[in-house]
Amino acid sequence: MFDLALGDYFAPLQNLANYVSELPTSVQLRESQYVMPWVFVLHVVSMCMFAGTILMMDLRLLGVGHMQTPFSQVQRRLFPWQMAAMLFSSMTGLALVWGNPLNYVVNIIFWVKMLAMLVAGLNALAFHYITEYTLVDWDAGQTPPAAAKLAGALSIFLWANVIVSGRLIPYALTWFRS
Amino acid sequence: MEQYFIDIAAWPVSRAINESSWIFPLVQAFHLVSLGFLAGSILMVDLRLLGKGFSKQPTARVARDARPWLIGSLFAMVVTGVPQFMSLATKEYDSPYFRWKMLLLLIALIFTFTVRKLVAYAPDGRFGGGISKLVALVSIGLWTSVAINGRLIGFFS
Repeated sequence: MFDLALGDYFAPLQNLANYVSELPTSVQLRESQYVMPWVFVLHVVSMCMFAGTILMMDLRLLGVGHMQTPFSQVQRRLFPWQMAAMLFSSMTGLALVWGNPLNYVVNIIFWVKMLAMLVAGLNALAFHYITEYTLVDWDAGQTPPAAAKLAGALSIFLWANVIVSGRLIPYALTWFRS
Repeated sequence: MEQYFIDIAAWPVSRAINESSWIFPLVQAFHLVSLGFLAGSILMVDLRLLGKGFSKQPTARVARDARPWLIGSLFAMVVTGVPQFMSLATKEYDSPYFRWKMLLLLIALIFTFTVRKLVAYAPDGRFGGGISKLVALVSIGLWTSVAINGRLIGFFS
């Protein structure tokens, strides 16, 4: 067991978590026998939709998958599904935290997941505002340039990190003392 | 049958997985990453069959592109799924969700590699839009139900 003393660092957030945990909706979520497991189930289903559509676009960026479809088409067609799935998984994720805020606020693996999501978002923005301007040169047929491959590889790594750390959140209690 | 599951749970490998504090969690985590790839490679073709994208590409071409990722992620699912089963064999024997998952998985696999394959690889226009959409919805429904039952094994056993 590693002692992280997260409670000290997250004292202000802990007050917020305390407040949320006493709200009637939080108590109801926590005490419901069936709602929480089903929120978990829906979180996994939305993850499938989100990760699936993101990872397939990343494979195209890396130049290793769906090469017979131009990148712009893969991206344009998957975008609405990615956004819908992001909304769906954010809502189910928020409900999970809302029901058990004290469990998450001092959980180091939860924060690793949040950080990975943040960096994955920055990576997507960097691709959109920088690398995508070169798209006309490699949209169809050709292998994407190194910058595009880097964006794809980073995205796969970061979202895999989000999934792995998401699954490991409950185990933080047995691995770390916070 | 039950004895067979008890035997598997007693194998040294199964017990080693159970006794470690990190092997099972990590295997589970990579099972989920593989699930992401599997869902993606299935959705690429089903979205095309639904008419929700890639309409400039023949369906067969989208399906051929997705195929190595479908096969690869199915393989990764099995590699990360079997150790979980081994270490929990006796618990899974009693779990209705495990039984449902295996039954639905079998149906989903058969459907994917017969009906769906036939429709996806046919020249566009041979099957009507209605049939393509139905196949896509059945595919999405079957695979989603496999995932749902998989997650439920961990909650109610």
